[in-house]
Amino acid sequence: MKNTVKNIVPVGHIYIRGNVLKKGNIIGVEEEKAAWAKDLDLPRQGEYTFFAGCGYQFMKYAEGMTRAARTMQKVGIGMDKSISMNIHMSKVLGKVGIDLGTVTAKVSTAGKKDAYTTILTSAVSVLRKLGVDIGYLHQDEPCCGSPLYYAGFLDDYIENAQKNYELLKSLNIQKVIGLIPACTSSLRNLYPQYVEGFDLEVYQFSEVVAQELNKKKIKPKLREKLIVTYHDPCQLSRYLNVTKEPREILNNIDGLELREPGLEQRGQWSTCCGGGGLEAGSPELCERLGRRRAEELLATGANVIVSHCPACIMQLKNSVKRLKADVAVMDLVEILDKVLE
Amino acid sequence: MNWGDSSKGMCDDIEKMERDIIDRIQVCNGCRMCVAMCPTFEGWYTQSAYGRLLAVNLHFKYGLGSVEELSRFLFECATCRRCQERCRVLSRNVGPADIILKARRLLVKKSQAKDTKGS
Repeated sequence: MKNTVKNIVPVGHIYIRGNVLKKGNIIGVEEEKAAWAKDLDLPRQGEYTFFAGCGYQFMKYAEGMTRAARTMQKVGIGMDKSISMNIHMSKVLGKVGIDLGTVTAKVSTAGKKDAYTTILTSAVSVLRKLGVDIGYLHQDEPCCGSPLYYAGFLDDYIENAQKNYELLKSLNIQKVIGLIPACTSSLRNLYPQYVEGFDLEVYQFSEVVAQELNKKKIKPKLREKLIVTYHDPCQLSRYLNVTKEPREILNNIDGLELREPGLEQRGQWSTCCGGGGLEAGSPELCERLGRRRAEELLATGANVIVSHCPACIMQLKNSVKRLKADVAVMDLVEILDKVLE
Repeated sequence: MNWGDSSKGMCDDIEKMERDIIDRIQVCNGCRMCVAMCPTFEGWYTQSAYGRLLAVNLHFKYGLGSVEELSRFLFECATCRRCQERCRVLSRNVGPADIILKARRLLVKKSQAKDTKGS
């Protein structure tokens, strides 16, 4: 049997690779890029550069796509086929003169503020409230390319990384604040390995916030008492070793009770929720993983599940919905934006 | 943890990659500490880091099993690195998640080499 890339890598990964290389984001919609920042007057230059990444910006498309793939799988069409059908359809429509990307973009811009891009605006407002001077690259922001790395396309990843580094250098960037754990870990841990002379300082959002809160001795207050539990994203806890800071931030908030799952299920040992890369290959397995993790978190008896990663948020939201539990899933950023004045 | 990553820059040498992976797997003493730890584990060894390394070893060292099957095992890994942390703290620091990623890379590399040769 012939072993082509298509036989080896799940089609979802190949589809994402094409999008990253051709369109510069994971979903392949160009028009929507940086649309969330239009009304914020973010300058292009600042002490820190805010790296928004693909996750929160395009999660609504990813949500729709995985839902479509899952329903198709249930009807009997495999993930592979449903995505290739998608690609095929866009090819056919392209020939007729309809671009599928713009069609989906038009449909979803009707409700411009979705649950995921508001997290980005909240992040900017949190950093502004804390007095951090930030800039944003708007349309020029590149895709870090981490899906390529995890799917095994190392050569493409290195090429992309070198191109990005040159771009960031030519724009005179020194310090970067990453919001999405996967992008941040890609910039901080992988780029120095593969790009020669990489010298950018990369921070994660929660590190900067924890540091500023400590420095300014701010003690935020919640009006009503809230019982929360924190889910560590894998990329944050085990790739970036950031487990202390989010807990510091949460414990620092007055009126918030943090209830953690068992010792073997938190911090550096936290169970994976199955979101992210796995979803592109085996959505059914990913669904089961999400349910197991949600059950662990629900056993703590918290009203709110807090996490800090777009893939985890999406996955946990879906799992909680499937378990029919009356629990909200929020990003750390949203809570911070609410309590800070 | 970085165990002498030899894949700095472009990695063209497929044989060297293969040897690196096989050598590293021999460090594993099969404590199976990573098995029940794996979030994808549902009863089969190949749904855990230990089983995936076993499959990689059998395939690359002894040529057993088909490439499709191996790639299915490897791409079912969530790359959450829970096994790697467990191995680092309690066992021999094999770096299972890194090996799984490297094996994926090797499979892709091999198939790409074949693709260009065939066309």
